[in-house]
Amino acid sequence: MKVTVNDVEVDLAPGTSAIDAVFAAGYDVPYFCSQEYMSPVGACRMCLAKVGAPRKDRDGNWILDDETGERTIFAFPALLATCTSALSEGMVIDTLSEEVKHAQNGMIEFTLINHPLDCPVCDKGGACELQDRSYEYGSGRSRFEFTKRHQEKHHPLSDLITLDRERCIHCKRCVRYFEEVPGDEVLDFIDRGGHTYIGTVEHGLPSNFTGNITDICPVGALLDATSRFRGRNWEYDHTASVSLDDASGSAVVVDARTGRIERIKAGLHPEVNKSWIDDGIRFGHEYTADPERITRPLLRKDGELVEVPWPEAAAFVAERLKEFSGKDVGVCIRADATLEEGVAALALAEHLGTGQVDHAPRYGPTVMPPAQATLQELAVSDAIFVVGDVSEEVPAVDLRIKDALRGVTPPPLLPHGVPIADLRLKERMPRKREILCVAAPYRVDLMRHAGTVARYDVGGEETLFRGLIAIAEGGSADERVLGMTLAAAKAFVDRLRAAKKAVIVTGGFVLSSQAAADAAERFARAVGARQLVLGPMANAYGLEAIGVLPSHARYDYASMVAGGAKALLISNLDPAADPAVAERLAESRLLVVHDMFMTATARLAHVVLPAKSGFEKDGTVVNLEGRFMPVRAAPVDAGEAVDVTGLVRELGLAFGVRIEGRSVRSARRSLRKTLGTDLEELTGLGAFVALPRRRVAVSVAARPGVRGRALRVPTMVRQEYLLRNPHLLATLGGPALRLHPDDARTRALSHDDEVTVRVDGVPRRLRVYVTDAMPSGVVSVPALPDAPAGPADVDLDGIVVERRRLEVA
Amino acid sequence: MSAQLELPTVAPFFADKPDLLVEILGRYPDYGRRSALMPLLWEVQRAERHVGEARIAEIADILGLRATEVKGVMSFYSTYHEHPVGAYHLQICATLSCSLAGADELYDYLSEETGVVNGETDREGRFSIQKVECLGSCGSAPVLQINDDYYERVTRSRCAALLEAMRADRLEAPWRERSGDTDVADPVAARADGSPSGTGGAP
Ligand code: SF4
Ligand code: FES
Ligand code: FES
Repeated sequence: MKVTVNDVEVDLAPGTSAIDAVFAAGYDVPYFCSQEYMSPVGACRMCLAKVGAPRKDRDGNWILDDETGERTIFAFPALLATCTSALSEGMVIDTLSEEVKHAQNGMIEFTLINHPLDCPVCDKGGACELQDRSYEYGSGRSRFEFTKRHQEKHHPLSDLITLDRERCIHCKRCVRYFEEVPGDEVLDFIDRGGHTYIGTVEHGLPSNFTGNITDICPVGALLDATSRFRGRNWEYDHTASVSLDDASGSAVVVDARTGRIERIKAGLHPEVNKSWIDDGIRFGHEYTADPERITRPLLRKDGELVEVPWPEAAAFVAERLKEFSGKDVGVCIRADATLEEGVAALALAEHLGTGQVDHAPRYGPTVMPPAQATLQELAVSDAIFVVGDVSEEVPAVDLRIKDALRGVTPPPLLPHGVPIADLRLKERMPRKREILCVAAPYRVDLMRHAGTVARYDVGGEETLFRGLIAIAEGGSADERVLGMTLAAAKAFVDRLRAAKKAVIVTGGFVLSSQAAADAAERFARAVGARQLVLGPMANAYGLEAIGVLPSHARYDYASMVAGGAKALLISNLDPAADPAVAERLAESRLLVVHDMFMTATARLAHVVLPAKSGFEKDGTVVNLEGRFMPVRAAPVDAGEAVDVTGLVRELGLAFGVRIEGRSVRSARRSLRKTLGTDLEELTGLGAFVALPRRRVAVSVAARPGVRGRALRVPTMVRQEYLLRNPHLLATLGGPALRLHPDDARTRALSHDDEVTVRVDGVPRRLRVYVTDAMPSGVVSVPALPDAPAGPADVDLDGIVVERRRLEVA
Repeated sequence: MSAQLELPTVAPFFADKPDLLVEILGRYPDYGRRSALMPLLWEVQRAERHVGEARIAEIADILGLRATEVKGVMSFYSTYHEHPVGAYHLQICATLSCSLAGADELYDYLSEETGVVNGETDREGRFSIQKVECLGSCGSAPVLQINDDYYERVTRSRCAALLEAMRADRLEAPWRERSGDTDVADPVAARADGSPSGTGGAP
């Protein structure tokens, strides 16, 4: 469809909005209320332009100008909001005339009438849409001589978000966001009329995606509480990277100032997270600036760990390693280490001559399903079956499922990027709930959006899938096993089979049992669905793909720490949290711990080496759909911390050999040989790289059977750092022991009590969280890297109440 | 993910009114379930003279909405009350015609007599006062709306009489000077037989 913007002709698809035509033509028009990936509503009237279009007469012929013979352009009687106007053939849009300028000027003046203009103390200053637009399109003068409206300036919407009601210009982006994106209207205009303000009655904004409103607020009304008053926008270094918080590979922008991370904002990745991130990613960065961080190598001298220079620590390790025959040494890295770190760990193991190399957490089953779905496919799927709690495990997946429920395909990119006003999106769109079935052993948030809900028994994933396979094969199954009625199960199996783009999403609960994972794969095959497997951490997929795996199941991480390795190099894991393991590790002859903090394991170590956080390293990770994505280091002061490649470099220097993977570059050279792709060339959007499927049933050692009906559950917030993230901690109150009100009553526990309870033999301090989301008789505790999601043994009889919740007398 | 708050438990309002609920929800198609918001709010308010937090949450639950959304709609209408109003909710028109006809003095008088100001309810729960905008009865200003009824041309003495009646709980039905649409079946016929028409005399 050809349209003319000022003097430029552009050819765009029908249905495109006029505002996008203006930007596609390279012109600019100010706007406040439109927002990519959200419905255009025409609320701010800032995007006005003079618009005209040719008309046809009754016979369907264009009305022509008598003199020139050209089509006559009939101007619309008033200026139009371009964000809500669809293009029509031959439309002529003028954004430059005096009339338009006058209107823009007037709208700016109007918008600023009650705005406090406190830019000098506003966190948004320097990156504020209102400030920029006023500068570009305003007159710079106000004729408003009266007292401005005064409202609350520091209103905590939650512990994470502070609202300044005076600054709000009522664009409604934040309100629409909650209804349209996560599908929960927890924020609304209250007292609509002359005194409209943003508010909630939902104590503390109960959603996993609240922080995004601080990104989209065009003014400084909604601010991230972790970064409020901590810096000006022009002082920040913005690093576009990928979050290592979960397996989604969500794009983020890390804002650092004077060597410290101040805030995380959502990055734009149209095929992964669009422009949204969950609160765990956004607010979970404070631990990197924790004063207790280890910044220099520590060596045990006379029983004490003392700071030493790197060469001394490395020389000590190299010297001691000589005492061991290679196969006695174990090397394990955490599953959010980059590919390059994986290469380094493999090269180190090879140099030492050991097959005891692994990454953890790692489940027995593969995270690389044979029929891999992508997130884009999920977002356009017509039947989705979810087992587990995706909204906590990989929240980005939750939002892409909600895209599918809305049934609007991801917008095609325009010359200027994502459409500013996608006219297909509407407020309060009907959701196709019927295409979603969610199954879990307890009530999960996504169930509120699902047409079919199943609650099966703890550890019942395998039997659930077996039952579904039986149904798919024309048989029947026990309703107790299915957790839903037989009719509902049959109907959904039929739907999956009939669907063209069915996707099955499974997480840690299914991965924790080989039989369940196999059954899930068989079921996917039976109904012709693709699979999305939520790996336990950011790079579980990649580390499996390049084979950071033991040469034999009996050499896996659990066996290493259980005494299989006489010398151990462990990166970012804390096996000694388990007292039984600690006892054994205390006797190990060489324990080298690479970590950010003095964990229980680090306290036992002979050498502790400072580790970089996920924000401080360069590298590559592979997200849950198999997309290779570049991680970039933000300028953060981490002392002498290194990632695993740096660790291997230092050790190599001490050994006097050049180990592959001694730097990111060297690791990438090695990866180029195996992958046939140069990761140096990876752009921000990442790429799919054809992978050799290498995993040959390198299982994990079987764990002892579980007695109780308890679960370790995935959480959006990383539990290993929760206590060092003050804002998240304030919101959550601490790691939660969740249980049903009846169980709380029988055990005389109340909400918010602090308790110590043994989970699989490991004492953990938790906060009682009473909720009817848990079935009676089932309790859950958060998973940890060393104790990933799955059935657990929670010793409720031995529970110790450390502190009763505050009672108001 | 935020901590759950334990609210004091109140017996749900609609729990023992299944028929009413079915009737109200039945007025709207399934995709328009939200529309039942207004009548549900109204039911609660009629029974309890306000819609409290627990009721808001209950209605949200019934309609599959969030409480915030219910609050957003409710707070738009000055006729829904967050806090209980009195048995006699005195709504004084404060717009131009009534103002010219002495509404401000009427307000002062009522406020003095009842001991409450705009937006308040007295201790006994008998009286509450609210200034409202034009009630559409400008021709018979000043207008005082008591609960759902209009009392027109409320002079000081008429007001005193009304107050006395309310204190004794003997409030009589209002006499509608303008022959409001509810009283007279055919307003044209009513005008033809010479009764007052309120807005400019007979044609
Ligand atoms: S708080 Fe910000 S995003 Fe929300 S309506 Fe106000 S200006 Fe818009
Ligand atoms: S009216 Fe706000 S962007 Fe068009
Ligand atoms: S001004 Fe009072 S009723 Fe119109």
